[in-house]
Amino acid sequence: MAPPEVHHLFHHPIADHSFAADRQTLAVARENSIDLYQRSGSKFELKDELTGHDKTVTGVDIAPNSGKIVTCSQDRNAYVWEPSPEGWKPTLVLLRINRAATCVRWAPSETKFAVGSGARLVPVCYFEEEDNWWVSKHIKKPIRSTVTAVAWHPNSVLLAAGSTDGHARVLSSFIKGVDARPEPSAWGERLPFNTVCGEFLNNTAGWVHSVAFSPSGNALAFAAHDSTLTVVYPSGPEEPPRAVVSVSTQVLPFMSLVWSSESEIIAAGYNCEAYRLQGSEQGWQLAGSLESKGRPGVQDHREESALNMFKQMDLKGKVTDDTKLKTVHQNTVQTIRSFEESGSGVTKISSSGVDGRVVIWTL
Amino acid sequence: MATLNWRTINIDALDPDSPANFDLSSLTPAVAPVSTADVQSLAGQIRQLLRSGDNEGALQGALENVPYGADEKGKEVHLATVIEILQSIRQSDMSPILSRIYSAPGGTEALDVLMKYIYKGMGQTSASSTTRNITPQATGFSQIHSRGGGEGGGQAMSVLLSWHEKLVEIAGPGSIVRVMTDRRTV
Repeated sequence: MAPPEVHHLFHHPIADHSFAADRQTLAVARENSIDLYQRSGSKFELKDELTGHDKTVTGVDIAPNSGKIVTCSQDRNAYVWEPSPEGWKPTLVLLRINRAATCVRWAPSETKFAVGSGARLVPVCYFEEEDNWWVSKHIKKPIRSTVTAVAWHPNSVLLAAGSTDGHARVLSSFIKGVDARPEPSAWGERLPFNTVCGEFLNNTAGWVHSVAFSPSGNALAFAAHDSTLTVVYPSGPEEPPRAVVSVSTQVLPFMSLVWSSESEIIAAGYNCEAYRLQGSEQGWQLAGSLESKGRPGVQDHREESALNMFKQMDLKGKVTDDTKLKTVHQNTVQTIRSFEESGSGVTKISSSGVDGRVVIWTL
Repeated sequence: MATLNWRTINIDALDPDSPANFDLSSLTPAVAPVSTADVQSLAGQIRQLLRSGDNEGALQGALENVPYGADEKGKEVHLATVIEILQSIRQSDMSPILSRIYSAPGGTEALDVLMKYIYKGMGQTSASSTTRNITPQATGFSQIHSRGGGEGGGQAMSVLLSWHEKLVEIAGPGSIVRVMTDRRTV
């Protein structure tokens, strides 16, 4: 297994990160702006800075095909940035929310995007050609609290939303004229806008940090603040799910998760490292960490000279410096995303966290 | 109209979309109501197990039948039962018992429940010990009493702390997070 590729960009938390389709451009949310990094050799160099938001940027997503960047912020706005010869051209999207926007994701069709917000609703935004204008339509019911995570189903109609009221919901965001009528699936057959296709609560009703559909879209996973990961397998419209599998882990809660295949999920969070979870409808379990023991550059026990040892004792009152974690990330991992995929599933993932690092892991 | 103080109007009550008007029960997992009498009879059964020397069975029984739906009184009764069991188990038996419970089906859930009772017990002992032990002494050494006395808050706390230590070794920090997150309180 190749060692992880670590890029320490700056000493600020990274709320969200996104790679362009060619994986040469990296966008990270840094305080009130979005930094664009360009790969040069083995490093990423700061190339551009997108400014416009006047509060902390909470979400950034690059559409793989069109290259458009959507960002959202605590200032309650979203921008769509389009490349043009004079640089990046922002278009303001009026979300019509009265609380902060928390996360944003393009639909796989790239014709619309969904924003999570503290206003207990999910604006679904699409471009209206006639008015040359991004319009937002609200999914309101039955969300009771801040939406912390959104994730799209591969059909670009179903949307999963995780909320601090402890529920993970599957909702329809079907917009006439934008979406093609979706194929009937286990989640539902007729899907007008704001149809609730499923509402799931785990045992403790802890608030949800992250949601994700499996690659086929036929299962939903969500991670909550009670250190559990729950996977839901629906049986059909209006029916109770076929299986709801919940794993209570020994580690601290997961902040983000990504399906690497139908039977494997990678999740990371407050433990500062990524874990592999494997299973199926019959049950899921924690299969181990992505961190490999004995990775070079971490447990480097340098041979200390006696003079140095006493110097350290004198200065700090101890010989070894134990302020460094043994993990690659030195603080909470906020976001993990798929970085490289092959026919069988995801082969590389990228993670970013509060420590200002972006790390690319080979699975 | 002019005398109406607009700032004191509770606008949340007038807004049907306001979170103040939610039915909060929809946010918590459903729990079946349990009467205090049921909790008491369960406590009796568990004490019987305890008397016959089956500490582990008693602990398991107490952790599997958690009265989430009971009122304050019932919860207090069950807390007293669990604390009694915890105090009757010797320190050297703690880890083996915990690992056996953990490996049984539904084990993580049982250990989460135990963690809840440990925290609740800690809250209780400190509350009762402060009321009991704060004697008006000018020296400020009033706490020495409870530690030296070998009974009361200090003793109970040291038992709970050693349980806590052993439990975290097996169930990890995840179970502490679950205690803080869980809407089903004991």
